Amino acid sequence: MCDVCGCHEHNHRETRTIDVNQSLLKANEEAAAGNRKHFDEDGALAINIISSPGSGKTTLLEKTIDLLKNEISIGVLEGDIETDLDAERIRKKGVPAVQLTTGGACHLDSVLVHKGLHMLERSLNGNRLDVLFIENVGNLVCPSFFDLGEHIRVVLISVPEGHDKPLKYPKAIKTSQALIISKSDLAPYFDFDMGKIKKDALSINPSLKIIVASAKTGEGIDDWVDYIKGLLNTETLRR
Amino acid sequence: MHEVSIALGMVEELKRIAAENNAKKVTNVKLKIGKMSGIVTDSLIFAFDAVKLEHPLLSSATISVDEVPLVYACSKCGKAFETDDLYPASCPDCNSYNLKILSGEEQHIENVEVEV
Repeated sequence: MCDVCGCHEHNHRETRTIDVNQSLLKANEEAAAGNRKHFDEDGALAINIISSPGSGKTTLLEKTIDLLKNEISIGVLEGDIETDLDAERIRKKGVPAVQLTTGGACHLDSVLVHKGLHMLERSLNGNRLDVLFIENVGNLVCPSFFDLGEHIRVVLISVPEGHDKPLKYPKAIKTSQALIISKSDLAPYFDFDMGKIKKDALSINPSLKIIVASAKTGEGIDDWVDYIKGLLNTETLRR
Repeated sequence: MHEVSIALGMVEELKRIAAENNAKKVTNVKLKIGKMSGIVTDSLIFAFDAVKLEHPLLSSATISVDEVPLVYACSKCGKAFETDDLYPASCPDCNSYNLKILSGEEQHIENVEVEV
């Protein structure tokens, strides 16, 4: 029986259209805004590092920590699908690190970063951070969709990956403020066109800062460290 | 693969919206997806169709998509133009790469149709 009018003929169904007009990534965006506010209040510069697996994110961080840890206070959130191998490597350098394992997800999200931030704060014993590095899960696609609340997004593309990557992964380039072309010491062994990768990257993002670097030889590492110091001295960190 | 995360987020939002409106069922979700949002519509629908089954409220919900064209405005000469080339785009009039996106990055839930 129809429970609207009591007849036996039909079932009344009332449908309604609800206007929503909200982002598909609303939950992530809200938590990201919360993280950003948290970083701003603490005066910490948050840098989200994204790249394919094996481009040298952790190695670059190790070098960076060696050069900066006596001048500024550094904390690291390490994103991976599994294991805390990377957080261990960072801790050996003498700075606090929290491993975030996504258990399968191919990117960090701002809710997980928020949790990580609180875990990291517990190991700081009340000291504040100048720079928080967030090393994302190795993946050149999905991390570019998820704002973590960072001030600066840095993308690494290593020489062995090839100079065609900016055109193939434009969103990573478009949403980043800096590109590090890593493992530059390997350039002589690959048919890698340094001019083309820079030109393509800048055509996607004209304001991109590009640094050619090798953690092995040290090339460009000073430029990278100076870039971070410059950001620390900039009043407006916001994207 | 981020489409799975997005679909899971959608499930949570739809459950909240349905509860707020005392809905018995969600029948359709209308999305607005820009050409350059980076969301693969088919993958998102595939992921949503898989994850919705765990939620009786959503299990018969369909997705319809409004695709929004990519429109740039040149920051140098001001020309607005629609294009199918996502990257690298340059201004057809002055060739500048300094472009602002006017539309095409949308990734929105526009409306939700429910049974009450």
